[in-house]
Amino acid sequence: MSDSTMLLAVFEDIEPASKGIDTLQKLGLSEDQMNVISGIPVKETILGRPAAHTHVGRIAISGAILGLLFGLFLIYGIPFLFPLDAGGQPFYPVPEGFIICFEMTMLGLMGFAFLGMLVDSGFPSYTPKEYVPQISDGRIAVLFHCPRGASDEFVNALMKIGALSVNPAEANQL
Amino acid sequence: MSAIAKPFIGSHTTEQEDPHEHLMHDPLPRGEMNAMVLESMHTTTWKYWTLAGILAFLVVTCLVYAWYILIMQGLGVTGDNRPVYWGIFLVNVVFWIGISHAGTFISAILRVLKIESRRPFTRAAELMTTFGLVQAGLSVFMHMGRVWLSYWLIPIPNERTIWPDFHSPLMWDFMAINTYLLCSTMYLFLPLIPDLAMARDRSTGWRKTFYKVLAIGFRGTEGEWKNLKTAMNIFAFAIIPVMFSVHTIVSWDFAMATRPGWSSTVFGPYFVIGALHSGMAAVAVVLFMIRSTMKNMKYFIRPEHFDTLAKLSLMVSMAWAYFYFNDYLVPWYGGDKWEKILQDFTQRGPIGWLWYFMLFCNIVVPWSILWNKKWRRTPWLMAIVGLLINIGMWIERYVIIPEALTINRMPFTWQIYVPKLEIFLTIGTFALFFLLYLLASRLIPLIPVWEVQEGQEGHILRKIGKAQIPTVSEID
Amino acid sequence: MANEVQSPVNNSNAAQQVQGKWGMVVDQDLCTGCQACVAACSMENNVPFVGEVDDAYGRSQQWIRIERFWQGSYPDVKMTPFQPVMCQQCHNAPCEPVCPVYASVHSLSEDLNLQVYNRCVGTRYCANNCPYQARVFNWRDYMDPRQRPELVTLSNQWNPDVTVRRRGVMEKCTFCIQRIRHAEDTAESENRDIRDGEVVPACAQACPANAITFGRIDDPTTKVSQAAVTSRASHLLEDLGTIPHVTYLAGGA
Repeated sequence: MSDSTMLLAVFEDIEPASKGIDTLQKLGLSEDQMNVISGIPVKETILGRPAAHTHVGRIAISGAILGLLFGLFLIYGIPFLFPLDAGGQPFYPVPEGFIICFEMTMLGLMGFAFLGMLVDSGFPSYTPKEYVPQISDGRIAVLFHCPRGASDEFVNALMKIGALSVNPAEANQL
Repeated sequence: MSAIAKPFIGSHTTEQEDPHEHLMHDPLPRGEMNAMVLESMHTTTWKYWTLAGILAFLVVTCLVYAWYILIMQGLGVTGDNRPVYWGIFLVNVVFWIGISHAGTFISAILRVLKIESRRPFTRAAELMTTFGLVQAGLSVFMHMGRVWLSYWLIPIPNERTIWPDFHSPLMWDFMAINTYLLCSTMYLFLPLIPDLAMARDRSTGWRKTFYKVLAIGFRGTEGEWKNLKTAMNIFAFAIIPVMFSVHTIVSWDFAMATRPGWSSTVFGPYFVIGALHSGMAAVAVVLFMIRSTMKNMKYFIRPEHFDTLAKLSLMVSMAWAYFYFNDYLVPWYGGDKWEKILQDFTQRGPIGWLWYFMLFCNIVVPWSILWNKKWRRTPWLMAIVGLLINIGMWIERYVIIPEALTINRMPFTWQIYVPKLEIFLTIGTFALFFLLYLLASRLIPLIPVWEVQEGQEGHILRKIGKAQIPTVSEID
Repeated sequence: MANEVQSPVNNSNAAQQVQGKWGMVVDQDLCTGCQACVAACSMENNVPFVGEVDDAYGRSQQWIRIERFWQGSYPDVKMTPFQPVMCQQCHNAPCEPVCPVYASVHSLSEDLNLQVYNRCVGTRYCANNCPYQARVFNWRDYMDPRQRPELVTLSNQWNPDVTVRRRGVMEKCTFCIQRIRHAEDTAESENRDIRDGEVVPACAQACPANAITFGRIDDPTTKVSQAAVTSRASHLLEDLGTIPHVTYLAGGA
């Protein structure tokens, strides 16, 4: 947005970060104007953030259903399309149905969970992004939009409560 | 009467353990841990290159060239015959799939049960899973008579208008092993992404490009972590039943056959426990090698981790003995004459000593060593125990496959199995496994540093009464 | 279903209890163990010769084998009747459901177990699952003239009606299905049914003692149906429930 600047504040650890987020909230920022980038997953409630939403679960379940249908096709559709007698076993076997449907359901569940994770997070993505390497060294960064012109106020407030650095966020090649 | 309990035998030390011995209570700054892991990846000595060279040589001769001979001349160069149509190749298949189960056990079951000491070695175990499954897949291809047509087992529409037969346990194998391979590779990759991002941030040159591509643009935003953790949770829970089903289905390759010694209903759980037994032992061997040969690993992999593995291994060895006794007692008691002849051949036949050695390695060795806490915390001893258990479990599969095939209901056809070229191909698969691991150890961060830090954040020393008690908080 | 050895059998019901179409009766009391059937089968079906070393190791590829046993210990050793064993063409063949590529299927029209050579990928599960160990595997290209030039002339006697198998493929006795097909084609072109005794597999043709009888077991008037219902009749490994189509006669005078 042209009427705001993006700033990146880096904090040493969880406590300073939660204080920083508190400060930002007091300065009037709404939740979707902030984003936390961290080197380990921090529960949102620890930092006072609303719970993040994910579609991975739903995508995984739909994958499981597709896997089940594929398994049913393999074990019952194939003998229906190409009936070949083998060993006195029934054409549409029930126990083998359980086995194949189970495997395909699990493959669908996990495969789609993985793909859902990629799709939901927009991976793989090699465009420049706002990031600093200190994050993977265990720091916690808060990326936020502040109204243009008010950046000094935000910077001072955050440095006062112990941020390591507050700089304009630059989108760099990762 | 004194109310103080006196020790029964000897004097046990009653001093408190130093909590800083535990990795979780010995935190270092994340930046320092990152540097340690990256240093261990970048350090290659002449010993490393010599070993890599030897392994590569073994792979080229014992795997590639020997396999070329096998394909061009046919399976006659192996030791298979009638009635032993399946020999060491199938033993290797079962063995390597067994090894691969350890990775899932540690990575998934220990994660689900929130056993904190798993944190540093989940990736080493998961790498074992992937590389073990590669060897198992190669061994499956090796045993096929016309391996160049193996694509006929893939159930996709084709111009031959014929599909594979799902009545066959080999097709259940095909679906199950492929499912397990794909899912465990994805499960290896998921927790690896943040560590790849860390490596990307701290690398230059070709390594940076390599990690940048593989890290798929991961930064660590809330949304990304939430998606990653949700996917990891789904995998952790879902891959456990897949793990159980895979080795059960492999066991059904044998149990579905109407052979004496094979047609046993206990094979499903028996094989799963056998897989865990050999797999846990293999993890101990691999961890010992990582710890003693790579820089800085002594910080991450400590005697406490060998302790955890050893305790689990002891329990699994007891479960294995239980299942083996089941499988042994019923035919021994039951009176089917072919089963009795088979048991006689296995135990008192020309290679009967092998059966006793198997019981020694699988039962006597773990039961006599793993009860002792000090011994459990001795990495080199655990590596030796792990090696012996793996030898014992390989022999167990040898007893089940070629030895059981010798005895069938048509005595005129009985023949002993004498392996030939398969010995070289087996050496080749082991060489390839270690070579892949050696290469991976310098390309992929072997320690999931973010998980270690996550754990260290949650572990504190809390003062309860007069003592500092190690405490875990559930911050995830 | 099965006829017990040494117990009288109600002849009129026996044929109805038999399942299947083509069947064979092997009279062990007549068999002299001369192995003419083995040689004839190998000639008829292009069975390769594996050489001494591989044969001793258990890789002989003969589709029919004469099993010899003895009873007692020296000096009171007695020979038991010779037992020719070939594929029993089981009604519930255990070799069929285990093949992953449908190379071992059941022919509904002939009620025989078929081995489809060009579909086999050589996993050998069928061979492991055959309780009669009737299946053999092509461990090498034994008849490759480049490797064994001394066998070149043998290829002159190959039967053009039968495929020559390469390495990596399972094979087994087919009840000489090429002869069955030939007889059926001839009968159809002459607008008649197949006569009893018209289809003679190579082993039955070669046997000097006439120990092997072959024909339709669903027709109670054929020689093979009548031979199968005597009190000497039994099946191999009956209790496994494979319902073999080969009946063995033994124990008589």
